[in-house]
Amino acid sequence: MNLDDALQTFITESRELLGDMENALLNIDLAGDQSEAINAIFRAAHTIKGSAGLFSLDHIVAFTHVVESLLDAVREGRVVLNDEMITLLLSCCDYLTGMTDGLAAGRYEADPDTAADGEMLLQQLRRHMGMDAAVTGDHAGALAVQPEPGVERMGGDAGDSDYWHISLRFGREVLQNGMDPIAFLRYLARLGRIAGMATVADALPPAADMDAELCYLGFEIAFDSSADREAILGVFEFVQDDCEIRLVAPRSKVSEYVELIRALPENPARLGEMLVLCGSVTAAELAAALAQQSQSEALATPDDTADVPPRLGSILVAAGQVAPVVVEAALNKQKQVVEQKAQENRSIRVDSDKLDKLIDLVGELIIAGARASVIGQRLHSTQLQEATSTLSGLVEEVRDAALELRMVKIGATFNRFQRVVHDVARELGKDIGLVVDGEDAELDKTVVEKIGDPLMHLVRNAMDHGIEPADVRVAAGKPARGMIKLNAFHESGSIVIQVSDDGGGLRKEKILAKAIERGLVDADRKLTDAEIYNLIFEAGFSTAEKITNLSGRGVGMDVVKRNITALRGSVDVGSSEGQGTTVTVRLPLTLAIIDGFLVQVADSVFVIPLDTIEECIEFAAEPGQDYSNLRGQVLPFIRLRSLFHVQGAPTRRESVVVLRFGKVRAGLVVDTLLGEFQTVIKPLSPIFSEVRCISGSTILGTGDVALILDVGALLQSVEGKGAALPALAA
Amino acid sequence: MPLTAINLASAPLPSQYLTFMLGEEQFAVGILHVKEIIEYAAMATVPMMPDCVRGVINLRGAVVPVLDLSARFGRGVARIGKRTSIIIAEVAEAGDEAEGAQRSGKQVLGMLVDAVNAVVEIEPADIEQAPSFGTRVRPDFIAGIGKYNGRFVILLALDRVLSTGEVVELSRRTARHEQEPWPADRCHDDRHCPDR
Amino acid sequence: MSAQAIHNLSLDGEINIYRAADLKLEVLAALRRAPVLEIDLAGVTELDTAGLQVLMLAKRTATDEQRELHLLNHSPAVVDIVEMLNLGAFFGDAVLIHS
Repeated sequence: MNLDDALQTFITESRELLGDMENALLNIDLAGDQSEAINAIFRAAHTIKGSAGLFSLDHIVAFTHVVESLLDAVREGRVVLNDEMITLLLSCCDYLTGMTDGLAAGRYEADPDTAADGEMLLQQLRRHMGMDAAVTGDHAGALAVQPEPGVERMGGDAGDSDYWHISLRFGREVLQNGMDPIAFLRYLARLGRIAGMATVADALPPAADMDAELCYLGFEIAFDSSADREAILGVFEFVQDDCEIRLVAPRSKVSEYVELIRALPENPARLGEMLVLCGSVTAAELAAALAQQSQSEALATPDDTADVPPRLGSILVAAGQVAPVVVEAALNKQKQVVEQKAQENRSIRVDSDKLDKLIDLVGELIIAGARASVIGQRLHSTQLQEATSTLSGLVEEVRDAALELRMVKIGATFNRFQRVVHDVARELGKDIGLVVDGEDAELDKTVVEKIGDPLMHLVRNAMDHGIEPADVRVAAGKPARGMIKLNAFHESGSIVIQVSDDGGGLRKEKILAKAIERGLVDADRKLTDAEIYNLIFEAGFSTAEKITNLSGRGVGMDVVKRNITALRGSVDVGSSEGQGTTVTVRLPLTLAIIDGFLVQVADSVFVIPLDTIEECIEFAAEPGQDYSNLRGQVLPFIRLRSLFHVQGAPTRRESVVVLRFGKVRAGLVVDTLLGEFQTVIKPLSPIFSEVRCISGSTILGTGDVALILDVGALLQSVEGKGAALPALAA
Repeated sequence: MPLTAINLASAPLPSQYLTFMLGEEQFAVGILHVKEIIEYAAMATVPMMPDCVRGVINLRGAVVPVLDLSARFGRGVARIGKRTSIIIAEVAEAGDEAEGAQRSGKQVLGMLVDAVNAVVEIEPADIEQAPSFGTRVRPDFIAGIGKYNGRFVILLALDRVLSTGEVVELSRRTARHEQEPWPADRCHDDRHCPDR
Repeated sequence: MSAQAIHNLSLDGEINIYRAADLKLEVLAALRRAPVLEIDLAGVTELDTAGLQVLMLAKRTATDEQRELHLLNHSPAVVDIVEMLNLGAFFGDAVLIHS
């Protein structure tokens, strides 16, 4: 396997594991049953350590080792978990994340800049474990092998196979050549920890035939070490002519162990026993593998019945070498691992570049299909038109399926905030909790990536300015603990994300005063409550009395709004003084492909997102006015011609497309309606970043370019005019 | 839309330039910047943009903005003639702080010119510094004055000419200047539509 | 019936390749003296592969011949090797854990 690919996988998986660790730490209920969480955290640390060992990333192995030790102590009840420890472990998570990021940036060794921090963390970890002296040298863990009964030394890791498996068969003459196998094993133990060992004495002949100066012994070893293949082989350099050495790398498939068994001279069942004994495979794994194997070849064995391969578990127990309890535990563990593997197999990792390429190709497919349809129409060929119609239908399905691939649940993003809220609350000295709802709501992965920062800012803002200090809250009759709520749901083709707090709410007068002071609004303008609240999104606006570390820097709500607008979304804020504030963000479900409706003004064709259209009607305005009466409701107009300064005369019979975005409705006046059109969004060059009402472009079946209207921005430009609309005649 | 594409992507020498006409003057740009040359075809206009941005075209599935060089040099909007062409160029874009910024790196833009001439070789020895006055083109647009066949050719600093940042700034001013939509009755007669 | 059902043997010093051949004869002979052989290892200062092999052969032979062999008072050197090579189950004796 390419080392770079493997390293990439390690980085990705480590990040996931660290994420899991963090989540588990944040969710530990100190009063309740922690065992599941502790185990999860321990497993994560353990896995990272093992994998890091594969790449000889000693700095990561060393650090994780101490973390793992503390977790082990907690697991065994020797140390009790408390708040301080959780915070410490969270810091360790961060430190490990830093090391992983360093890896991604090409740093394979400890970073001297952060080494001091790491050292401090290690000291604190050790303190909790009750160890005062610094752990000496050998990080990879030449831990003293505990003098426990041999069986238990296998540890609980029987199913993990994250050890090397070393198979040694010393030659007969090795002793006569002056070498002592045991001495080599001792030397090996300096490179790591012998996690499991089985001495193979099968070759020992009957007493009469045995020559005491020849060596008949072999060893099967499970070896816990970060050393690489060369280093391990190097241990046996001086006996390499007198010893058959076979290595199976950590995390090898069971089939490789089966291969090993085949290669070795002894009875396969016996060997299997020994592998299980030293912990390199589990009984169940091996039984399955061997059973498969012996179906194709009859094993003629002197001591076992040849027709049915003996169940390894029963062999072991019968031979008295493994207590039944241990076997059962091993089998249970195996069941867990199998279940987990099954779960993992239900999904596959896909490179996001590959996904993007797929979406691009689907986009091209749509355009090509549209072109074919246009040609079919021009040629007036019914057969061709039918064919292209079928084609279009299929392409639409492919499109939907492809877009589905890019949809991810927002839950992962939301859950990141647990940590943020936890840390920030501590910083602010406030007691604040986070409630999350709608985690299953899905949205396009590009949107998810870009929404993180704005959401972060909104949450921090709510915590900093929204939630009052505990004493103020209690005085107001509220619970001392403040609540931030994140909610997500789908609504009319968009995804809605809400950030709410039960804090003091926005103060209208203060906002208005500040806005007037900053010249954002005229003093005598009458604004609705909603308009006043939305002033906080204006550039340079901040009512924070003192600028805290977190927000109120003036890089505030206006940036949030711009980021959201760049995603073709909209943001709105509502509040109730004394009770709380809710910021509502609305985003399109996908940024790649939309269902659109084509309209024409003079020579220009525009695309309107279909889900913003309520209906299309003929143009009929109250004379000289910019609105019309639509079933008893006022419908203000937007004349595209005027808005875009299109020259030339309009057609005699203009049409109106009734648009709705959020709570705002308006009628878009255009020359001609051209019909529905599914279209791939081509982002506009940054040169057009100041153009407000256009959100992108697309290529029509004719090959011409059409611009996509940004309905949200369009309707906002109507709203912002502020002209009072006349009441309708009764 | 028939395309006459001369693909100049094969590794060129740094002293090669593509020459073209704007009015009576001859200009040139380094070959390294030129991706292809296509015939003029009607393009989609983008509202609320300054005159120097003529519109956007479909270049094999990519939507590429086209700059009107004549307007860019302050000579008014280009008049389409028989030999009018679009040079597709690639320039490096310094990463900008615009929040909606796409990948910084390379930008592909089209330039509308009156006629495209040949690719010529101009040795560095034959290139002089631009005079600080006297040319009808903004000094910072000029990389140098080259001499070829006895004639002077203005070598363009394409990064400045096609600078996205500058065009965006222009469009910001345009937007502010033209904030109000025209009144409904203003567009019924061509004669009353004011020049921009 | 032999007067002594248990035979005792003490091994001292270095049990290594240099003594292996002789040791083999000695231990096997001792094994056949009585149904049960106890080998006292308190004085063993060093044990190498050859020495270990002899002990293992003795154990195997005892089992084959339906005799009993017990190792006692394992010295630290012996404990170390029995532990490292995971032979506790092979010999089946209680190993005294030294502190």
